[in-house]
Formats: sequence, structure tokens, C-alpha cells
Amino acid sequence: MKKIIAILLAALMMVSITACGKEFDTDSEYIKDKGTLVVGITDFAPMDYKEAGSDEWVGFDADMAKLFAEYLDVDVKFVEITWGQKINELNSKSIDCVWNGMTLNDEVKAGMATSVPYCLNAQVLVVPADKAADYEGLTDLSGLNVAVESGSAGEDAAVALGANTVAVEKQADTLMEIAAGTSDAAVIDLLMAGAMIGEGTNYDNLTWVLNLNDMQNLESEEYGVGFRKDSDLVEKFNAFWAASLADGTAMEIATTYGVQESIIAE
Amino acid sequence: MSFFTSLEFRTVIEALNQGFLRTLELFFVTLVGALPLGLIISFGSMSRFAPLRWFTKTLVWIVRGTPLVLQIIAIFYVPGLLGVYIWGGGDSGRFAAVSVAFIINYAFYFSEIFRGGIQAVAHGQTEAGLVLGMTRRQIFFRITLLQMIKRIVPPMSNEIITLVKDTSLARVIALQEIIWMGESFMKGNQGFAGLVWPLFFTAVYYLAFSGIVTILLNRLEKKLDYFRV
Repeated sequence: MKKIIAILLAALMMVSITACGKEFDTDSEYIKDKGTLVVGITDFAPMDYKEAGSDEWVGFDADMAKLFAEYLDVDVKFVEITWGQKINELNSKSIDCVWNGMTLNDEVKAGMATSVPYCLNAQVLVVPADKAADYEGLTDLSGLNVAVESGSAGEDAAVALGANTVAVEKQADTLMEIAAGTSDAAVIDLLMAGAMIGEGTNYDNLTWVLNLNDMQNLESEEYGVGFRKDSDLVEKFNAFWAASLADGTAMEIATTYGVQESIIAE
Repeated sequence: MSFFTSLEFRTVIEALNQGFLRTLELFFVTLVGALPLGLIISFGSMSRFAPLRWFTKTLVWIVRGTPLVLQIIAIFYVPGLLGVYIWGGGDSGRFAAVSVAFIINYAFYFSEIFRGGIQAVAHGQTEAGLVLGMTRRQIFFRITLLQMIKRIVPPMSNEIITLVKDTSLARVIALQEIIWMGESFMKGNQGFAGLVWPLFFTAVYYLAFSGIVTILLNRLEKKLDYFRV
């Protein structure tokens, strides 16, 4: 028995010794030291996705992230995360930034240090194409059962417009709700609607009819990059972004992925 | 039939195979880790040293009394949130964290099955061993353990089949097992978006694998039949 306890204690000590990492004054020193910028993403065309038969992450966000890593003089690594855990992922340092068409809402601003907005987005209402006419010109969503992604900007918009919301785990799941007839409509990002519904998808019988941001007279939403609280990488990103707008690389990449009209270039 | 030769079908199947490989890795790592650890824990909960016994029973209560999905999240994120970065960024860290969570969780369930099996062996068997002049160690390995294994095969089969399906919980920290891969085609993966069938198609993999596991466990049970106790 004593032997077993001794072995267990020894193992525990080994773990605690190896666990003590170095301390760094700034986030960028930490990243420089390990030599890699770990970017937290989800598969989200046209921002971060893989082409058929390829193993490389591409997209507007992915390509910009590669350039940003080059700017910092480190390697880049993309890691797929569970979206609901993005703040935990940052704080536990399993990723260094969230860069995936992230809407800058209150939750994001409270939990992370965020960059200047770089892209515009809106929330849209998705309905079966054959019933689209019924939804044209609505001014609120009262009486409708609307599927939304739990904790998303779309959920806030649907609630504000008086819908009965059904909160599911992912934007993709909201579409299954309509397809299965368990919800009347769904609210998802405009950029995502472009990729997920209509011709060439399993949801070719769905279409989007209303822009919820216009309905609420709200400004469009803005996408930003999230870093750890108090990270100095925010300033580095902002400087990098201004420089890539100035020399035209940002617009060039945006045009490649068809998002040039959403880019914020002040 | 052309669907089965289409690029869509091949891409999805390739992704699902890759995900299922991850599922299998997790399944076998958990079994290899949890079986011996479970036996050690069962000794703890049967110890004649009362504090160790109570300590082990408290752990059994905690591990069996909280959801596995919560344990996975806690094991992966909490060390980092406390400033101890043990998992690192990347897929291997995620797999290591999930493996630790599964091994611990399943070891505690196994330990209770082992304890039941050991305690069900008639006390007369131990006494007979003592009369023959065997040491406690010899009695355990040559008499009790063998009879215990025969008794615990049915309840262990239950847990092992459950494990096949529980591996899907690992996607909560973005481990790319088969359900994750199936879901990925809804949102978009390798140029295919809005596909619903890959998620439901994963059932084929689970059914085939649990079928094989069931057959193997039934064979094991038959093999142990010569022990008539």
C-alpha cells in the first residue's frame, strides 16, 4: 500500500513540475516564444473552409490569418473548435484568437479583446421557398416558431421581433428544423445563408426573405477578430489590417472569395 | 446507383471513415486504460483500511454522479483557466484530454462491476485456498479472479456497448469523431454544404461496430462456460 501511495505522489509531483510554464509580459511574446499562432475556427464558407479534396484551410479569414502570422513572423495553425466554448478556448490557451466571421456582440466584447470591425453582416429569415410570399413585408415575427442558434446574434434579433424561438445548437440545425417542419422559419447569418441554402445544397427548397437588421432599423452587424483579454495582439492586428487595406491585399483576397462588398474599408 | 460513385458520396465516406478511425482510437484507448485502472479502484473500495475505502467511495460517487460531458469540458478547459497549460493547442491535446476523461469515467463504472464480481465469489473458495496453504495473492489470481471474470462478462458487455456510443460526446470539445464529421456536411465541409444524410448515415458505422463487439463478447462468454460455479 505504501509503495502505491509513494508512486502516486511521485507521479503527481512530476505532473505539477512539468505544468509550470514560463511567464510572459505580453501575449505577443508568448506567441513568438512558441512560434505558432493558433487560430480557432469553425468550417464556415466563405471565411474558413476546405476545398473538395484539399486539406488546406482557405477562405477570406483563413488567408488573412496566414498573412497576419507572417506579419508576426510565426507559423499559423488552424484548430476547429466548438463555437459555444470560444471564450474558454482562448482563456485556457488552447487557441490564441477567434477568427471566423465572429459577430461583435455584447457577449464577445465582454469575454475577449476585439479588433476593429473588418466585415459587415446581417441576420436573415429563412423560410420554405414555396411559402416565401407569405412572409414578404412583415414588420414583426409574432406568432411564428423560429429556429435560432442558441446564443447567436440571430436569436437576439428574433426575440426582439417577438418570435417564439426554438434555440438549437448550430446554425445548420436551424435549417433541419424547417426542413423537418418543426419550425416555421429560421434566422441565420446572411453570409452563411449564401453557402447553405438554395441551389446545389440539400436545402434547395429554402430561401431567405427578410433582413432582420433592417426590420429593427439597426446598423448591420460587424465581424471582428477576438483575442485574450488585455492581449497586445489587438493593436498588432489593427496595424496589420490598416496596412493590408492600404496596399490593397485585403481587397484582393476579399474579391477572390466574393465578400468585397462586405469589407469595411474606412 | 450513380449516387454511390459520385464525388459527394466518396468525399463524405472518406470523411466519415476518418472520423470513425478517431472514434475507434478513443474506444480502444479507453478500454486499455480503464480495465486495469478499474481493477485497482475496486481494490480501493474493498480495502480493509477504512479511510482509503471512504475516499474511493467518494470518488465513485463524484465520477458516477456527474455527466461525462461535463467531465470532458472540465478536464480540457479547467487546467488552462487556472493557468496550467497541460493540453496545448491542437488535435493531439484534445484527444489526450478526452482519453483521460473517458478512462477515468469508465474505470469507476468498471470498478463497481469488478467489486460486485469479486464479492460474489463464495467465501468458501477463499477458505479452501487458505486450507491448501496458498497465499492471499495466489488465491486472488488463481481462484477469485478467474471466477470473477466469468461473472462480469454480461454487465461488462453492457458498458462496452455503451462506450461505443458515448465516444460521440467527445465532439463537445471539437474532437473530430464520426458524429462531428457527419454534422460538418450540414454547415459545409470540402465544398459540400447543406447535406443532411451524412449525419444519419453514421448510424451504419455504429451498428456494424456494436454488432461485431456483441458477437465477440458472446464468444467470450461461451468460452468461459466450462467454469460451472
